[in-house]
This record gives sequence, structure tokens and C-alpha cells, in this order.
Amino acid sequence: MLKIDNLHVAVSGAEILKGLSLEVPKGEVHAIMGPNGSGKSTLSYTVAGRDGYDATSGDVTLDDESVLDLSPDERAAKGLFLSFQHPMEIPGVQTMNFIRTAMNAQRKARGEEEVSAADFIRLIREKAKLVGLDDAKLKRQFNVGFSGGEKKRMEMLQMAMFEPRFAIMDETDSGLDIDALKMVGEVVNALRGPDRGFLVITHYQRLLDYIKPDAVHVLAGGRIVKSGGPELAVELEKSGYEQFIEAA
Amino acid sequence: MSALANPSPFEAALEADFNARSGTSEAQAAAFDRFAKLRLPNRRVEGWKWTDFNAALRSAEPGDAAEADIKPSPFSALDPLEFRIVNGRIELPDEPVSEGLRYGVVNPVATIPDLEDHPIASLNVALARKALGFEVSDDVAFDRPVLIRHINTGGGFSFAQTMMRISPGARLRLIETYEGEGAGFYSHLFHMVVRDGADFRRAVCQDMGEGGIVNSICAAKLDKQAKFYSTGLSTGSRLSRHECHVHFWAPGSSASINSAALVAGERHSDFTTDTQFRAEGCAVSQLHKGVAKDRGRNVFQGKFHVFREAQKTDAKMAANALILSDGAEANHKPELEIYADDVECAHGSTVGALDEDALFYLRQRGLNENEARALLIEAFVGEVVEKFEDEALRNIFASLVDKWLEQQ
Repeated sequence: MLKIDNLHVAVSGAEILKGLSLEVPKGEVHAIMGPNGSGKSTLSYTVAGRDGYDATSGDVTLDDESVLDLSPDERAAKGLFLSFQHPMEIPGVQTMNFIRTAMNAQRKARGEEEVSAADFIRLIREKAKLVGLDDAKLKRQFNVGFSGGEKKRMEMLQMAMFEPRFAIMDETDSGLDIDALKMVGEVVNALRGPDRGFLVITHYQRLLDYIKPDAVHVLAGGRIVKSGGPELAVELEKSGYEQFIEAA
Repeated sequence: MSALANPSPFEAALEADFNARSGTSEAQAAAFDRFAKLRLPNRRVEGWKWTDFNAALRSAEPGDAAEADIKPSPFSALDPLEFRIVNGRIELPDEPVSEGLRYGVVNPVATIPDLEDHPIASLNVALARKALGFEVSDDVAFDRPVLIRHINTGGGFSFAQTMMRISPGARLRLIETYEGEGAGFYSHLFHMVVRDGADFRRAVCQDMGEGGIVNSICAAKLDKQAKFYSTGLSTGSRLSRHECHVHFWAPGSSASINSAALVAGERHSDFTTDTQFRAEGCAVSQLHKGVAKDRGRNVFQGKFHVFREAQKTDAKMAANALILSDGAEANHKPELEIYADDVECAHGSTVGALDEDALFYLRQRGLNENEARALLIEAFVGEVVEKFEDEALRNIFASLVDKWLEQQ
């Protein structure tokens, strides 16, 4: 499904990812854990195609197709979704209008029919209930005046609406209380399926109590330095990252 | 007879026109004398440094206005009472007189005391032949919108005035459009009074072609507990300047003065306002949003002048500009002059580019680069469009913004 092969990425001239390789097969959820500054956000931005995060070598493929030459919107249309660590407030943009425009832009790019206004409203109400956002929030400007937790709920709402093929969740758990963590777990578990993959980036093992990963990787110094099963997350929580920082 | 020292060809044409007239009044002669001293404003005059009429008109052809087909107005959908001022010539609607609203072609004002040091207002007083006069009767809420279409189709120059009186307790909605593909100079002087408890709402749409050179001045005097709203959208022209002079003469009045500019190519938009507070407890909120790309120029000058007697004034001004190209310009001059001590006055001004984080966010969600940029620009200008309370009117302005975005 998502395959990252010997990826090197430089940001503003400094090499951040130094030969990162990782494969998430179809139907699996992998977690990436790692200390601050290890390159976790650089990885998510590079895979999503942000300007300034250019691969100097290596490749990223989604179902065997390289995405590195695609624009961010082309990648989104291929089914790649990024849940942002710090979701934007966008004043003046109406939430419902934006999500529908985005949804239809993706569908159009895939040659699918646009979603009708009635179907859209039905769908967004259902998903808003799932992520715990009330209807009034949907009528507001996008994320304007929302709390950190509400912004993360808005990310999960979009993920539930778009049903991406592959989702990267960049520290979705940061700043969330227990109820919100549970909600994130529910959204991911509801979407889990044989054709979908997830890469969950996190600092803490907490979220993984709700989302059972198939594999856990440790990212340090721009490379995956250790991979293992869910027990690796528990071990990290106990012993910390220090051993890996030294190893990297 | 006046004489201009070393006139530009355009000034010489203005002078010849004035001198050829018979029956000019003393007041008009005095106004031309004032113009002869002030001359066409240029960049060396503070207040005109970014909007140089002398330079623009130096190369303008002082020829005759050509007749041209008049396009349908998007505002016709609101079934307005429609007036036209075509190259300065006033056309009244061909329908029966409405109850509660008197109108007609009248003689222009001979003097506007507050604008005697204004070069183009002086020129207008000297040269305007006719004015469009309106009076809304006491306590009449005239809800059918009045549309004045200022249409500039040719070269040369033209002058017109509008005078309006909104009687106590009355209400009027006005839409003014500045349109046409002409390359001439058009000056409009709009002189009005909003009486006690009256409510006046004005929408301005500046959508002239690339050649037009226009100055519009709206000078409003507000009486006790009057309400004044003016919101303008401009896509600029060769040189376009819309001025709003609001004077609070009696306590408890309020105004909301808003503008948005979308300028591309070589277009120029200037919104200049002068708000004078001479009575207690008046309030103003003012918002300007400007978007400039290519070599477009967006000018905003806003002044609050709070006199000593105007205690408890509440005045807020914000001007935000987006620059989309290296050659584009935003020029802001917010000004506060305050002589009262118990007031709340604030102003803020920002200039920036589109937010890269927001652009990436929108693109990650599936919008292509153009769609993402357009959505952010629309959202930026949308705050001004939202000021139109009437939904149908708001939708027309929103569609004009969309049309502009599609053309980019």
C-alpha cells in the first residue's frame, strides 16, 4: 500500500530524513513514535506534498504508484489524507461549503459523480455526531475560535467524510482528553478495512490503547531505527527514546 | 474670467469649457477660482500622493464623449428605480412618480463649505450643469432600491451632482454603479443629509473599464440618531477614487463605512474617507479589504477627526491588504486626530501575502492551487461583502467577486 523507500528529504538546506524506509501493507495500521525533532512532521509533509519538503532521493509509492511528482491535491484525489498536527483556522471560509467543495474536487479528479447537497448534509450530520461536533460548529467559519480538541475533531470529521485510502495522522492525540482519544479510536476503527491503511504518528502510547497498531516503528535521527509489534510502544513508554537518540 | 498659469492640455480644456459658458453664477466663478489655485491634484499634494489625477489626465484626450451601448446591470434583478447619468447627462426613470420619494433634475449646489479646499469638488461645483435631486418624505421607509448608474462611455470630461435629503424617520436604500468602457474623466459630487432618526444604506460598485478616470465624493451630514451605511466594491479602473466624507453634527448617530478593492493589471482603486465627529456619542465602524495583483494599486486613506465636543465617540477602523504579485501595491494611511479625552478610537492596518499554511491545508483536502487561492481571496473579501444585510444584494456582490476571481 504505502511504501517509503530510502527517502532523503532536505528542508531549507538541512537534511532531516536520512534514508527512511517503511512499508504499510493494505489493511494495516502502523504507528511511528519518536523524540522531538526526529523528522515525524517532515515525513508527513513530504508524503502529502508540501512545498519546500522535497525528496532529494528515494521514493514514496501508494499502491505501487510514485506520488512524489504529484501536487498535494492530486495526492489527495488518490486517497491520501493528512490529519494535521496543528489544523488551520481559516477565517471567512464556511465549513460546510469548504468540505463539500473539497469532497467534490476529489471526486471530480477521480472521474466520480459529485455528491448532491442533500446527500452531503445527511452524511456530514452523521459523521459530525460520530466525532462529537454539534451542528452549530459546522455552520461556523472553518475552525475559527475552536479549541484545540475541536480542531482535532474537525480533522477526524473530514477523514470520516473523505474515507481516504491511506491516512497519516500527525499527532492527532496531542492536546486531547480521554473522551476525545476514544473518539479518535472509534473513527479509525470504523474506517479500518482490508483496502485502507493508516500511519499514526504519536509521542505517547496512550492513543494506541484505542487503536491497536499492527506494527510500531521508532523514528530517530531521520531514519527508522527499530520496528516491532504493539509491545514496542509499551516498552518505549517505560524506557524513553534516549537509547535511540544515541543509536541514531 | 479666470486664468490658469501654465495649464496642462486637460486643464486648458476645462478652462476653455468654463469660459465658453454663459450665465455662470458668482458662486461657480468663485469655485473655478478656487480650482485655479488648487489645480488638478498631483502626487506632491498630501492626500493625493498615491492617486495622481494630474498625471493621469495629462495624457487623456480632452475629446467628446462617444455614445455606446449600455449593458444590462446585474442590479436590475432587484427591480430598482433606475436613474442613469450618462457622461454627465441625467436620465430619469420612465415611470410614475413614487409615493414618499420626490426626485427630479435640479440646479447643482453652489457651494459645499466643508469641501472648499478640495480641488475636484471645486471643479465640480464650477462645471456641473445639473444635479439629480431626491427627497424621501418624513417617516417613509422607501424599500424599493434606488439605482444610480454612472456610465462613462467616451473621452472628454463630465460632471454631475446628486443631492439627497432623507427626512426625519425615513429610510432609503441606494445602489450606485460606476461603469462603462470610456476613457474620459468623470466627477460626481453627492451631497446629502440624513435627518433625525433616518436610515440610509448605500452600496457602491466601481466596475469601469480600464480607461476610466473617476472621482466620486459622497459628503453626508448626519443629524440626531441617524444611521448611515456605505459599502463599496471596486475592481478599479485607470484611476478611480471614491471618497466618503461623513460629518456627525448631532449626538447618537452611527455609521458603517466599508470597502473592498480587487485590482489586477494596471488598475487603480482608491477609497478615501474623512469622518468628522462634532457631537457626543456617535459611533463608526470601518473596514477595508484590498487585493492587488499584477501591477494593480490599492489605496486606502481613512481619517477620524474627533473634535473636543465629541465625547463618548466610538470609532474603529481596520484596513487589511493582500498582495498577490511582486509588482502590486497596497498603500494605507489610517489617521486619527483626536481632541476629546473620553473616546474609544482604534485603527489597525495589515499588509501580507496569502497564507502558505492555509493554501497547503486546502490543497491537501483536494483543491487545486487556483481553487485554493480563489477560496482564500473570496474569504478575505467576504468580510466586506457580508456587510450587506440584504441577501439579494449581498449575492450580487458575491457574484461580482466570483466573476473577478474567474477572470484571474
